[in-house]
Amino acid sequence: MNAVQRFIRSKVLLLTAAILIVAMCLSVLVQNQSQAALNRTVDENSRGLYDILVQAKAGSGGALMQPEIANGQGGISFDQLQGIRDLSGTSVAAPISLVSRVTQNLEAPRLEAMDYLGFNAGLVGTATAGQPGGTDPSKWPAAQSVLSETPKKYRLTASATSSDGASEKTLFKSTAEGSLGKARLVEEQVDGGKSIRIAGPEGETGIKFPEPAGGSEHNLFNLSVALPMAPEVTESVVAVDPVSERALLGTSGDFLAPLEKAPPADARSAEAIGRHFESLFTNGIGMEELEEGPDFLGVKLKYWAPLMTQYQQAKRSGELTGDSQAIPLIVRSGTSTDLKYSVKIEEIDDSGNVVKEIGTADRSLDKDYLPFVSKSPFALSWPGSTDYSELLGNSANFSRGLYSPATWSTNFASAPKYTDGSTAGNGATDKTATPGDWVTVNRLPEKTAGGEPVDQTQRNPVDERSYRENLETGKKLATPLAMVYGTFDPAAVQEAAGDVNRLPLGGYDPTPMTLTKDAEGKDVPDAALKPSLSATGLVSQSAGAITDYYGLAAARGYEKNASVIDAVRVRASAAGSWKQAQPEVERLANEIRDMGLEATVVAGSSREDANIFVPGYSKDDAGKESALGTVRQSWVRQDAADAVTGSLTATNLTLLFLTLCGAALLTGASTVSYIRQRRREAGTLRAMGWTQRRIRSWVLEEFAVGAGLLAVAGVVLSLLSWNLATVIVSASVLVLYLAAAFVAAQMLRHREKVDQEPQHDERLIAVDSPLTFANRQLSTNRFNAISLAVAVGVFGAAVGGLVALLIDIPRAAGASALSGLAAASVALPSIVLGLSGVAVGLVLTLVTGRFELQAKRQYLGTLQAMGWNPDMLGQVRFFENALVGAVAVPLGVLGALGVGLLLAPYAALWAAVAGLVAVLCWIPIATKVVQ
Amino acid sequence: MTNDLNLRRERGNNDGGGSLQTRANTLVKAADHATPLELSSITIRYGGGKGGADAVSVVEGFDLTLHAGEMHCVAGRSGSGKTSILTVGAGLTLPTSGRVLWEGESLESMGDDEIADRRRALIGYVDQGGALIDGMSALENVLLPAVPDGEVDQRRDMAKDLLDLVGLGRRMRHRPAQLSGGERQRVAIARALILGTRVLVVDEPTASLDRASANRIISILKDTTSDGIAVLVASHDHELVRLSDTLTELI
Repeated sequence: MNAVQRFIRSKVLLLTAAILIVAMCLSVLVQNQSQAALNRTVDENSRGLYDILVQAKAGSGGALMQPEIANGQGGISFDQLQGIRDLSGTSVAAPISLVSRVTQNLEAPRLEAMDYLGFNAGLVGTATAGQPGGTDPSKWPAAQSVLSETPKKYRLTASATSSDGASEKTLFKSTAEGSLGKARLVEEQVDGGKSIRIAGPEGETGIKFPEPAGGSEHNLFNLSVALPMAPEVTESVVAVDPVSERALLGTSGDFLAPLEKAPPADARSAEAIGRHFESLFTNGIGMEELEEGPDFLGVKLKYWAPLMTQYQQAKRSGELTGDSQAIPLIVRSGTSTDLKYSVKIEEIDDSGNVVKEIGTADRSLDKDYLPFVSKSPFALSWPGSTDYSELLGNSANFSRGLYSPATWSTNFASAPKYTDGSTAGNGATDKTATPGDWVTVNRLPEKTAGGEPVDQTQRNPVDERSYRENLETGKKLATPLAMVYGTFDPAAVQEAAGDVNRLPLGGYDPTPMTLTKDAEGKDVPDAALKPSLSATGLVSQSAGAITDYYGLAAARGYEKNASVIDAVRVRASAAGSWKQAQPEVERLANEIRDMGLEATVVAGSSREDANIFVPGYSKDDAGKESALGTVRQSWVRQDAADAVTGSLTATNLTLLFLTLCGAALLTGASTVSYIRQRRREAGTLRAMGWTQRRIRSWVLEEFAVGAGLLAVAGVVLSLLSWNLATVIVSASVLVLYLAAAFVAAQMLRHREKVDQEPQHDERLIAVDSPLTFANRQLSTNRFNAISLAVAVGVFGAAVGGLVALLIDIPRAAGASALSGLAAASVALPSIVLGLSGVAVGLVLTLVTGRFELQAKRQYLGTLQAMGWNPDMLGQVRFFENALVGAVAVPLGVLGALGVGLLLAPYAALWAAVAGLVAVLCWIPIATKVVQ
Repeated sequence: MTNDLNLRRERGNNDGGGSLQTRANTLVKAADHATPLELSSITIRYGGGKGGADAVSVVEGFDLTLHAGEMHCVAGRSGSGKTSILTVGAGLTLPTSGRVLWEGESLESMGDDEIADRRRALIGYVDQGGALIDGMSALENVLLPAVPDGEVDQRRDMAKDLLDLVGLGRRMRHRPAQLSGGERQRVAIARALILGTRVLVVDEPTASLDRASANRIISILKDTTSDGIAVLVASHDHELVRLSDTLTELI
């Protein structure tokens, strides 16, 4: 019988070798799949909209980059921008700058109560003449009003509130009382005929809030009560190069197309443009053209009305000069600033007691709000009222727009200053936002639209934390004129930037902040923070408008080739994944650095949540500062792709190595244990005159067959996977197997003293129970019991190590969004790998246990014959395995702890627990097998 | 194929080597049933798989009534079913069909636990070769049946007496590996008697023993019958066959 036949005959050797080979194949296969999935995930998500961020000086530094890149500090000149564009490796170089902060006064809010008096031939004849959109007089509704014929006394309480998402602040609250009633038509005899006017009923006092708010007034269709003025609304404006910005954003940047058609700098005279639009009205303009907007150099200026009204107002007040330029703007649609205006209406008696709650009317700045355009976002309606003003025809485009021009300022809201805190195991860094100075917000405009000074005492000022830095050039610029070319949706831009490796584009895609813990550090339900009324708060909203660099020049003024560019986002022309493009991108970054600029390679980055503690966020009336708590914001983790790939690849390989080494060690234990069963055979051979050396060779030949099979499997796997790790792992398994074989063969040595066992020692524990019986049996077969215990301990340690690695995958991957994605892509294969490792280990321990199975069954049969009942026999089986388990527990737990500390210190404790659980689980399983 | 011819012959009581006047007489309980073991129409088949086409019928319709103080020998060639009859009689395996009665009670109506408890009280089983537990001394082996009832300490003296009785009083601290085949067999018999059983079921007690050792075993077995213990023994030892009270020869 040759060695191959003997190998096949000894089914245990065949079985263990087969298990090992299958484990090797499966493990390598799964690991390859896992690695491929990891590489694919990283490759697909490793490059964002741009590869290199160029700034004049280093940003926050470190591997975690804060998202604010448009800060108004400038530092990059246009010559340098051109230099970047001229580099051969540059595909797109898109500059961005914070232009200005713009403060606007919204039109005074008003409360309108329906006060329609019905058909009047005179009104119809004049008001609807020449208005094709007007309603035919025959279809006018019947006269009606929400007010009574006899005036009633009302109390109006107007208030404005603003919330930052965590708490709400009342900006002001003002009350006015007076009587209101249904209007009446008063026919008066005037020179040349009769005149009709609308007047309040007899005895109506009207309602008047403090100056500058006007009093109540009966109009054609409504009673209008002028309310206290709304607070200032501040927006920021950023400048981009529309052509390169569109190239950066792709189709998502199409909203910038109108800006490309804006006239050059020398054709932007505000006066000339204003006169051009005035001439349109002088010469006559069609209704359809008014609806769509008149054409201006190829762009339909839908929002021409605000331009006109602001032009006329600025001209009237003398602000507009010959140097004033129009600034083309793409304005944000909607707002995330939480500003709510409300009016509570109560009917009261002469003593001031409330007779009836009429209701509360309120409105917020919302998605319909457009900076530089929305004139009256706080036109409130009396409860139960209907607006009949459209009866005169659609006048929407005529009335839409702000009356007063915006105030442009270079007092920028600077980003908070961050300091690093503790670093978590996955690399996430806690931060603290250092607050700046206090400023007072809720200011009223200094003058009304009519130029009268405003009584500032009508409001209580509100303190807000500000982060300001005065960057004024000192040059007093001519007042610019906002010229709205179109709108953009910040949410759509954010979506285009992607979720995983979202890179900051600039001021028009701010990174949201979420409050996660309160000031005491307790978890709170996630609350998205909103920009409050102050533009200088922690949270900023998307820029109110985007202009081009001519617009920036008009707003701030700069000499030729001034260094006004805050950042340039550069996309390299190298195609492919980050791994493929890395050399080209690095080379390009170095070339940019050679120009004296700071070039940060952001390809291969990913967004990562930073936890930021914000102290001193609010101040109470006594001036005591309070912390906001901890907020979460996405920053940019540089080199995330490399870190994720490197870390997870290492984890993957360790998992593979651990699985196979565990299997190999168990095979060794199993082999050694098996060899003891062949001592009888060795004795027979020895009796036949074989030498010890010949006997050892006889056995080793059988192992050589198994080793040969393992080697073949290793070579095939290495060739298939073409991976150095596979070669190393296969070689390691082979070495372990051979070592086990040599040890096993060595154990077949002649034992002269085999039957010279000492007589029974009375000091041994008496056998009087299943437990003591099991103990005695294990003592008798000490070698096999210890072998089995070691095997089970190795099994426990391996399980612990696998569990530690599996738990550690998210930490090893890091805290970035790419990490989560990558960890998810390798999670399943890793779990499969881990489970297969556990299964192989379990099978091998059971195989080891089976070597004693025949002997165990024999003595269990003897006990049964002696009248031991099934329950006691079960106890014997259980206690035997429990005692082996008791020896294996420290091995398993300490082994798992050690492996855990070595591979994944953060999960070492879990590894120890897993090792313990694995050994404890083995006990009932092995008990069942013996049964 | 099976041999289903059972020969039964009656013999007169034969005291053989004479009764042993030892303390063992006081240890065993008096038989309280005239027929402690009865096998009725026992059929034992092995294997067969689905449909039983390949089943091997070892024993067919075997009947046996074992009286107290009687030694019955089941003889026959190897593979004739001797051990199968003994394991069925001892309640260690269930017959394919037929009834096993212990002191008149059928095993069919008993659960595993009850069978184990009843066996402990009624039957002492001596396996071929003794089946001693390695690593335990002769004394400990003898005391093993007392473990379930927690009577190890109480029966320690009795075990020593029994080992004396079988001539191993000076070897009680030796382990099975240090005992000869005949000595191991005698330890096994002592172990079977430790609980005062009324039936001794012994499988090939003299196989592979020299004549002197075999005679020693036969003598011990014969002595136990004089104490009212029924002995069911499987053997093809001529001496044992000759001295047994009744004989079933399986063909």
